[in-house]
Amino acid sequence: MKKNSFRKVEPYIWIAPSIILMAIFILVPIVFVFRMALSDVSKAGLIRGFNGVANFTKVLKSAAFGLVLKNTLVWTVAVVVLSTILGFVLALILNNQFKGRKVARAIVVFPWATTLVIQASVWNFIINTDYGTLNTLLIKLGIIDHAVNWTSTPAIYFNWEIACGIFVTIPFVTFCVLSGLQSIDTTYYEAATVDGANYWQKLFKITLPLVRSSLTVSTVLNIIYVFNSFPIVWTMTKGDPANYTDTLVTYLYKLAFYNGRQGEAAAVSVIGFVILLVCASVYMIYTLRKGDDY
Amino acid sequence: MNETVKKPVSVKKVILRALLYLVVLDVCVITLYPYFAMFCTALKSRAEIFSPHGTILPVHALWSNFIDIWSRAPMARYLLNSILVAGGSTVIAMLCGIPAAYALARMRFKGQTAFLGFVIVSQMFAPVVLLIGIYKVMLTLGLTDSILGLVFINAAFNQAFTIWLLRGTFLGISAEMEQAATIDGCTRLQSMLRVLLPVAAPGIVTTLIFIFINAWNEYTVALCLISTDTNKPLTVGINIFNGYNMIEWQYLFAASIFAIIPVVILFMGIEKNLVSGLASGGVKG
Repeated sequence: MKKNSFRKVEPYIWIAPSIILMAIFILVPIVFVFRMALSDVSKAGLIRGFNGVANFTKVLKSAAFGLVLKNTLVWTVAVVVLSTILGFVLALILNNQFKGRKVARAIVVFPWATTLVIQASVWNFIINTDYGTLNTLLIKLGIIDHAVNWTSTPAIYFNWEIACGIFVTIPFVTFCVLSGLQSIDTTYYEAATVDGANYWQKLFKITLPLVRSSLTVSTVLNIIYVFNSFPIVWTMTKGDPANYTDTLVTYLYKLAFYNGRQGEAAAVSVIGFVILLVCASVYMIYTLRKGDDY
Repeated sequence: MNETVKKPVSVKKVILRALLYLVVLDVCVITLYPYFAMFCTALKSRAEIFSPHGTILPVHALWSNFIDIWSRAPMARYLLNSILVAGGSTVIAMLCGIPAAYALARMRFKGQTAFLGFVIVSQMFAPVVLLIGIYKVMLTLGLTDSILGLVFINAAFNQAFTIWLLRGTFLGISAEMEQAATIDGCTRLQSMLRVLLPVAAPGIVTTLIFIFINAWNEYTVALCLISTDTNKPLTVGINIFNGYNMIEWQYLFAASIFAIIPVVILFMGIEKNLVSGLASGGVKG
């Protein structure tokens, strides 16, 4: 009897350390953020009382928010879509047998391993108008004859940030797809070749369906990471000038720690979370339905 | 007869082969270019970087830049802090994550799905979104501006990955050996430590290194929580060379290289296992 009741509580003892750690450092902050989003918060961060949805209306009414939201969507969609396509193609290329494949794979890992703040600093240096190495390189190669201003407008600067985001995201997609590709049984391809299928037919009828689960994993994780990505935009432009290159996370960082508007910052956090939750639910429904097919 | 059929195919093959090498070469050059630029700049003098006649390779390689950074900034301190943050986070994340992953892989209990659900949802909250809340918790615990605070935050936010990767690893190992050990009189803890963990070692090492890299590369929380210069990890500390009125690119990049090298080496070691771990954890989730 006693042994039986221990068996019942045993699993909870095993997961307890993990739960305590996540409760204190993730769950409690979540509760704080939601509470602050619904409260009147002083500049010093003291909660002065329930405030209803006032913080949300303030955020939604502010002129900058629409721009910031648009930037965030452009940033997330552009980085995730383009890096998924490019990463997939790169995986197909690296999946061929060729000399130096191991070296190529090791090199492709570099951007994934490098911390984002350093990546962003280097790109900022490369595209600098006055002393950037891109201008120097292109002048030496004779492609241009005078220094070009690569960041003449905020929109163009934002595109560079997107390019940097794509650059650092590609390796993750590539390696997820590569792991999927390597688990495909080669007899499928042999059978298809016997049946007279061409390269594209094999790609769309065999390869794509079989790496779909790897692609879904990498895409969902990337949506979350890219949406919440802070260092690239922060290092390259700090969201300036005047919110033109801000995404939700840089915007809320400034609201909270520069402008002392923590209530509104918390509201932005909640809005961002709701957007991600909707995306994740859509994904879960999609995968659960796919699970029924088996 | 046969030869005339074969020839056009092989020409096509040669062209495709050449194209393949060309594309791979391009990808490698583009990927390495930022590192090349970083390295060359780290060897230049300030005057050379800002001179109107830009150079690609440094005219006089100033290796002293790599030595100067240690006296111009508390680099040794930053490096030590990074090691402490990454090492500490890894230890705590593994101590909490291994038992949790084990319970999820080997036991059935009420709330299992809810727990897995929370682990997945916790992924959606990046630390940056919760910074205001995290800051409050740290104030309450007296851990603002401390390395220990960073250790806990990194460990907590890496729990999802730890559990995800380890659960996949454990599920891929048959439970039969552990059951045999239990029949021989081992407790659950003993059978996990002596039977499962040695078999799961490759997966565990992969997870361990991955958390270490994540914590080593973390920037946002450290930027927000740490104000004392000597408590900063490398990612935040090296920005001392990136001042508002003057950027010392040569020092910034020389310091960056020290921050990058250990991680790149570790990453190349685990890249293959990590990806298959991610994929299997996902498929079985």
